[in-house]
Parts: sequence; C-alpha cells; structure tokens
Amino acid sequence: MTVTSTDLPTRRNASATLAMLLADSRLPAGAHVSSNGLEAGLRHGLAAHEVADYMRTRMTTVVRVEAGAAVIARHLADVRPSADGAADTEQGSGDPDRDSFRPERNGIAPERDTVVPDRLGVLETEWAARTPSAALREIAVALGAGLARIGQRIWPQTAAVLRPTPLPRPIVLGTIAACAGIGAADLVRLVAYDDAQTVAAAVLKLEPTDPIRVTGWVLDACAAMEDSVSELSRLTRPEALPASGAPLIEDWAEVQSVLPRRLFRA
Amino acid sequence: MPEFPASERSLRLGVAGPVGTGKSSLIALICRALADEIRIGVITNDIYTDEDARLLRSAGVLDPDRIRAIETGACPHTAIRDDVTANLQAVERLENDYYPLDLVLVESGGDNLTATFSPALVDAQIFVLDVAGGGDVARKGGPGIARADLLVVNKTDLADYVGVDVEQMVSDATEAREGEPVLALSRTDEASVARLREWLLALLASHRAGAHEPQDPGPMAPHFHADEEGGYVHTHDDEGEEHSHQHVRV
Ligand SMILES: Nc1nc2c(ncn2[C@@H]2O[C@H](COP(=O)(O)OP(=O)(O)OP(=O)(O)O)[C@@H](O)[C@H]2O)c(=O)[nH]1
Ligand SMILES: [Mg+2]
Repeated sequence: MTVTSTDLPTRRNASATLAMLLADSRLPAGAHVSSNGLEAGLRHGLAAHEVADYMRTRMTTVVRVEAGAAVIARHLADVRPSADGAADTEQGSGDPDRDSFRPERNGIAPERDTVVPDRLGVLETEWAARTPSAALREIAVALGAGLARIGQRIWPQTAAVLRPTPLPRPIVLGTIAACAGIGAADLVRLVAYDDAQTVAAAVLKLEPTDPIRVTGWVLDACAAMEDSVSELSRLTRPEALPASGAPLIEDWAEVQSVLPRRLFRA
Repeated sequence: MPEFPASERSLRLGVAGPVGTGKSSLIALICRALADEIRIGVITNDIYTDEDARLLRSAGVLDPDRIRAIETGACPHTAIRDDVTANLQAVERLENDYYPLDLVLVESGGDNLTATFSPALVDAQIFVLDVAGGGDVARKGGPGIARADLLVVNKTDLADYVGVDVEQMVSDATEAREGEPVLALSRTDEASVARLREWLLALLASHRAGAHEPQDPGPMAPHFHADEEGGYVHTHDDEGEEHSHQHVRV
C-alpha cells in the first residue's frame, strides 16, 4: 500500500512540539503499564534513595541502546526520492539539531514499502542482539504496538511500515520521527526523558517519595545524558548500535515479568 | 478503532462497578449460562494482578487461556478510559488467538462510582452495584449508574440481612436512569440469571445486526453542547430508532 501525497496531512509541527507530545505520559500509548523494571528492582534490593542512581545508570546503559535504535530507525525510514529518482538515505542537512519540518520529506517514495521494512528488520536484529532479556524485548514490542497505533492514524505515511509487523518501541519512535519531522538530537532526548520519567512515575506509586525531589532526579538523569546526545544522534548504521546493556537491569526485567502481585507489567 | 465493521467482530462488553460488588462473579455467571452456546473470552484488570483472572479460571467455567489478566500500573481508571491501549491489545490478541469469538468480557479493576469504560474499548457496559453497599447508592447516581447499558443490583439474597428494600432500590435506580434497564440479580436466583442471559443475547443479536451503537456514559452528568442555535443535550432514547443516540434541541 502506498499513501499518495494527496492523503497526507497538511499539518506542520515543530520537532520540539512533536517530542513533547510523544514524551507526554497523557499520550494514550499504553505506557503507564511499565515501571522500567523499578518494581522488581525495589523488591530485589534497590533502596528508595538509590532510585536517582538507577535513573542515571539507565542513561549510560539501556537508554543508549534505545536511543541509538531510535536514531538509526529514523535515518533508515527517511527515504526520499532524490533528483535521479533513486532512494536517497543521506541525512538531508547533516544537522541532527534540525528543528523545522521540511515539506519535501513528506513525499513518500514507493521504495518505502519494501526497502524500509527490510532495513528496519536488520536494525531490529541488531537491537535484539543487544537486548538479551526476552522480557525487555517483549515489553518493547508491546509498547511499540501502542505507539504504532497512534502513529498510523496521526501520520498515515508511517502506516506502510508500522502496520504489517509489530516493532519494538525505539524503532516505531524512529519511524515516526522520520515521517513527522523530529530531529535526531531531540529524539535522543525524548528517549532519555521518557525513560527517566517512567521510573519517576512508578516510584511515586511504589515507594511514595517527595514528588518534587523525584522531578529533580529526572532532570539530573537527563543532564547526565546530555554529553552523549551529539554522538548518539549521528548514528546511521545498524551495526553501530551501542551494545551497552546492563545485566542487572536485564535480570530485573526478567524477574518483573513473573513477579507475583505486581502493579506494573514491566 | 476497528478497521472493519464492529458487528463483524466479537461484542466487547465491559463490567464496571465498585470493589467487591460481584463483577467477577457476574462474569462467571455469564460464562456458565452461555459458554455452551457462544464463544467467550475474558480480560481482567486487577490492581494487584491475577486475582480476578485466577478466581475465574478456578471457577472452571472457561478454558483458562481464554481468561487473560492485564496490569494497569496502578491506574485502573486510566486503563479503561483515558488510555485503553493495554486493554485493546489484550482484547485483540484474544480475539485473534480464538477467532472467531462472539463475546469478550472486560472486567474493570474495582473502582469508585465515576469509573466507566471508553467506547473506544467496549461496545456496551454493565455497571454492578450490590445491596450490601447500601440501598441509597443507586440514588447517588454517577455516569455508570445513570448511563451504563445495564445496571445490575447484585446480591439480592443478602437484602434482608443488610436491611435493604430491593424493590425500592431498583425503582430509585430506574428513575435515576430514566427508564433504562436495571436488573436485580443474585446467583442464587435462577430467574434473575435467566433475565441476565436474555438481556445479553438480545444485545448480541443487535450488535451482530449492526444496530447497536456504543454509548459513552461519560464522566459526568448528561453533556451539553453549546452551538449557535442554543445547544443540545444528549439523551439515550432508543424506541426502535436506528440511531439511538439522539440529539434533542433545547
Ligand atoms: N451473597 C452473594 N454473594 C455474592 C454474589 N455475587 C458475588 N458474591 C460475593 O461477593 C464477593 C465479591 O465478589 P467478586 O465477584 O469477587 O466481586 P468483584 O466486583 O469482582 O470484586 P473486585 O474485582 O475485587 O472489585 C465474593 O465473596 C462473592 O462470593 C451473590 O449473588 N450473592
Ligand atoms: Mg473482580
């Protein structure tokens, strides 16, 4: 199925607006079922006062994998017809901070229907290899499906890629970023912020703490990530995806998936 | 949103109501009464997962794999109303695994009187009260009591013990609902279970015929839409109208 340009929405939103939308927990994407492994962590020795460290540790480990996968997916999904009609996958401006939507990106090359899914399939394999916990992969696909449901409706040009197979959340996010116009650096920050805020929302339910203090932890974690934004936002090749998983986080993800009397699915 | 006409997939029926009023028991009753005739699946939303699903599985009324529990991250209200994604995924997966199903029952986590299902998740909903919660609850109203497709006043066998006049409670409820159906139910009262069964089969037939239109009980009182001609309120009047959600000019 190819979406013709006449079907495309005429709406234009800034990269920052789109990032805010996608990072907002009020977005109906089903993300409130996840604590990012915090529930299992707290039951297995993580102290409430160590949650800030947990958020920061995630930034240097699993978040690098997620953000990297999102950026690479954004790059791979960004197929535009070039002057001679061949698919062009180069970053248009080479500027990862590009913050304005460029109308010509809205054009969907027919190649997207086959080339993009194939490329994203390669990326998914690389991502899976760096995400050894089956429970982590499973929740990523479930959250990806929730986001894809929104993506297909709001940005119909993503449907050809997102509809056929369930993809993990970072790859869905990258695909939406390519079609909707989110810059690569904003995308990295979005993944980081969402990751920390997920832990923050969960800790307030699991170990009631001063919510404003927890808000500070989210900003600390995001600040710790800032030095890596530039490096991660320049990734293009699936093989270059960081392999920075953390065995303890993976272990907690596995524990969480079978935790009795749990509040959160993940 | 469904990509094919709703009438071609299962009827998705929500069961909401305060904690302990008998939602799981009602689902078990429905399964017992109808599992031989129609293909049923169940999704439960627990606060602490699995309790309801386990209870239903152990009731032995349905293949245990057709009863699935979802976790709501301590947001039972959100999961049936503002962000139904997790429930919708579970319903669709169940429908897919056991295609074709006639009926999927979704039990909400026990919540307060304001919790109702979004029409994005269910085609119709039952709101369950019980006599033990007090005879005046029905009069207190709320979206579920006033505008669910069916209001059940459960555990009528206990009425004498808790000093509740069932007839009065039903008539209060009927008034609050402007005549929409109210069912006094007890699992020990065969006739009441038969009425539940009849109501459900009629709803299923209407759903299959494409005549049933999901109604949103809404979060509050009947909603008022201002427009340039003075506005209109929604009522729920379906005297054989194909469009049962009428807009009445005021
Ligand atoms: N006497 C009597 N008890 C009932 C009836 N239906 C349910 N109960 C009892 O009411 C209690 C609560 O029933 P459940 O079906 O678990 O209620 P629920 O609404 O699913 O509860 P939560 O899911 O925890 O909100 C149980 O002890 C049931 O046995 C009934 O018709 N009569
Ligand atoms: Mg129950």
